[in-house]
Amino acid sequence: MAIVMARGLRKTFRVADKQPGLMGTLRHLVRRRWRSVEAVRDVSFSIEPGEVVGFLGPNGAGKTTTLKLLSGLIHPSAGEVMVAGHRPFRRRRPFLESITLVMGQKQQLIWDLPPLDSLRVNAAVYGIDDLEARRRVAELAEMLELGEELTRPVRKLSLGQRMKAELLAALLHRPRVLFLDEPTLGLDVNAQARVRQFLADYNRRTGATVLLTSHYMADITALCPRVLLIHQGALFHDGGLAELSERLAPWRQVRLELGAVLPAEQLAAYGEIESLEGREVRLLIPRERLTATVSRLLTQLPVLDLEVSDPPIEELIGRLFRQGTVEP
Amino acid sequence: MRWRLARTLWLVQFAYMAEYRAEIALWALSGVLPFIMLGLWSAAGNGTGLELGLSPAELGRYFLCVFVVRQFSVVWVVWQFEEDALQGRLSPYLLQPLHPLWRYVAAHQAEQATRLPFVLLIASLFFALQPQAFAWPGPAGVLLGVLAVGLAFAINFLLQSLIATLCFWSERASALERLLYVPTVFLSGLVAPLQAFPPELRRLALHTPFPYLIGFPAQVLAGNPMGEGQTFDLAAGFAAMALWIALLLPLLALLWGAGVRRYSAMGA
Amino acid sequence: MELPMRYLISLRRFWGTALATQLEYQLNALIELLAMAGNLAGSLLVLWLFYRQGVALGGWSWNAVLVVLGAYTCLDGLTSTLLRPNLSRIVNHVQEGTLDFVLLKPIDSQFWLSLRTLSPAGLPELVVGVALMLWAGRRELGTLPPSAVGLAALLLLAAAVTLYALWFVLAATSIWFVKTWNATEVLRAALTAGRYPVSAYPSGLRTLFTLVLPVAFLTTVPAEALLGRLSLAGAVTSLLVAGVALAISRAFWGFALRFYTSASS
Repeated sequence: MAIVMARGLRKTFRVADKQPGLMGTLRHLVRRRWRSVEAVRDVSFSIEPGEVVGFLGPNGAGKTTTLKLLSGLIHPSAGEVMVAGHRPFRRRRPFLESITLVMGQKQQLIWDLPPLDSLRVNAAVYGIDDLEARRRVAELAEMLELGEELTRPVRKLSLGQRMKAELLAALLHRPRVLFLDEPTLGLDVNAQARVRQFLADYNRRTGATVLLTSHYMADITALCPRVLLIHQGALFHDGGLAELSERLAPWRQVRLELGAVLPAEQLAAYGEIESLEGREVRLLIPRERLTATVSRLLTQLPVLDLEVSDPPIEELIGRLFRQGTVEP
Repeated sequence: MRWRLARTLWLVQFAYMAEYRAEIALWALSGVLPFIMLGLWSAAGNGTGLELGLSPAELGRYFLCVFVVRQFSVVWVVWQFEEDALQGRLSPYLLQPLHPLWRYVAAHQAEQATRLPFVLLIASLFFALQPQAFAWPGPAGVLLGVLAVGLAFAINFLLQSLIATLCFWSERASALERLLYVPTVFLSGLVAPLQAFPPELRRLALHTPFPYLIGFPAQVLAGNPMGEGQTFDLAAGFAAMALWIALLLPLLALLWGAGVRRYSAMGA
Repeated sequence: MELPMRYLISLRRFWGTALATQLEYQLNALIELLAMAGNLAGSLLVLWLFYRQGVALGGWSWNAVLVVLGAYTCLDGLTSTLLRPNLSRIVNHVQEGTLDFVLLKPIDSQFWLSLRTLSPAGLPELVVGVALMLWAGRRELGTLPPSAVGLAALLLLAAAVTLYALWFVLAATSIWFVKTWNATEVLRAALTAGRYPVSAYPSGLRTLFTLVLPVAFLTTVPAEALLGRLSLAGAVTSLLVAGVALAISRAFWGFALRFYTSASS
């Protein structure tokens, strides 16, 4: 049975339009004009226990809104959500005890005190007795490689240490579903890798379901066999990363080394220019025209070297987002 | 050149403060204490004879003037300075060819300008309810009143800046402001006109800067600097204000200099 | 773990951590203490300015009016200990989005927001207020009957609940208007009227302080109870006001949350 289920999920926000300045303010007071923004449009999916699923999408695509709908922070405008057998927005105790939310840019630990004090508060709030709490802290601390950091004031910890402590605090009550919003935001490459490794271990060890959003493709490629790509509030892709790249890339990337510097206009006749640095050019060429275009290139231009490859997934997605609209 | 700088600084701060007018209106409203005290004093005067030497109308006008003076002499430089120090904005300010305190002076004056409409509104409301308390002080009276309020602001700003300067030594200097606030409330004439004080206490109070923050300017503005109780002599009052400024200004310069030296020595 | 126990243990942990954070700032505690002494001395000075001239505020004797001041000091202490440190954070929670964490805890969010921390610096004021009430009451009446002390304690508690509810509702409006924190400063300023018995004010203000702002129920009513001057109707009204105010604060929070959870992005 699915642990997370969304069917026909929608969220519409009403936003008041206000012109700047005093006149705008006055008009705003007298007659408000409202505008509806559809943050999530008819999204359906279901996730099985133990899955690790990544949410992809540009800023403002509706990733965070979806995560908030799933964790029960906001009401859906329409549609149905079930998480761990509960309707999230009711925020009943058994539901809250089975989920957790980690936000990379917000923190719940008490700034002036060591993490251990915040952990004790959380243990009390979730009704975990002292002995059990100590056992769990020890276990998680070992997995996260946290030691004396737990007894140092949070304000003296590095960003990476703080994030690991945040994870510990969020997982103390052994949630079955983890919602992670940008958990690696701002961390250096090493810290990112460590958090990633921990999440993979945790998922393997406990069988918890993990949903995460991230700006870093590395997080997604390393952790998520399945991705949900949200674009302008709608679900654009639900499946593996490899299939996504098939779908997104009716293109091949062709790297050329030329014998002379050529103007961009001339090169654009063969395909879309991705980069042009001196004599080195990267072109994107539709798959079906690849063979014909490559032979034209070889005959018409002074080509020293030529290499054909699949473009990296980051670029494909970035491209999709830059284009603005996509045909599903 | 100086003039243009001052004008620009002031205009920028004014635009900034205008953004916060709703907040500032609430701040203005939170100065209701004089009206509460007016209620208490006027009710007490109705029974037995309180020997204040003020008619009910004069009493009303006095507390309204207290309210007005307080609106235009409120100083919050301590918190602003503390925040700037904690947020690390202070270092760039210190590198600019403008004493950082001028920046705060401009901010305060812009804030006062934003308050003006609310103060006028409340004053009109007050006179609508108590028309007998109204009296036009005349152009000279207004000028003297504005001068007295300006000097009161200057004294208050210098006092508070002294505390703010202590932020160079301790992060928590703003707590000291709470201590300064106590005599500011009770000795300044805010809760009781100084005529109500017994003579010895009044003499003691007049040797502190506090009556010149509120009581004296309020009486000048109300048009009865001497009252019947001979609390303030107009000339002596202004002389005392000048004296306090002459005393506090070099003290602040000294402390500020020491503070900046310490700040740069700490390599902050 | 039983549920009420969970709330109790949580509360103990909340305040334990709060004390631990405050320990770093002993100097603050000293300054708070001095400020309290100064404020109390100032209030006594103002009262003395009236009584030295033979004016009895609202017909209250010197000792009786000190009981009112004691009740005010006690509530002011409560404000500094619990209301201010907790409720001023609601704004930050909304601004920084950390209200999300609070809402996802399996514990009542109003409980969490209202009692999450405490500032021990306000505790001496609370104690001094109670002591002043008892001392002045004894001087006024000779002996204090236990029933009067009990009733006064109950009504002071009701006053605290009313004050809390009023403050909480104002603080909760920050869900819509982030900048309303100043409104609580207006409230605090208006409530300083409670230093003196309501009968000391002209009739217009007296009505305002009874019907609009419950100043009368905050300090005058508990003082009257201690002095044995309170009618049964007065006591019942005060309890009713507290009950209704608390109910309104809960309903209002539910309403505000519905707004937050359907509107935040």
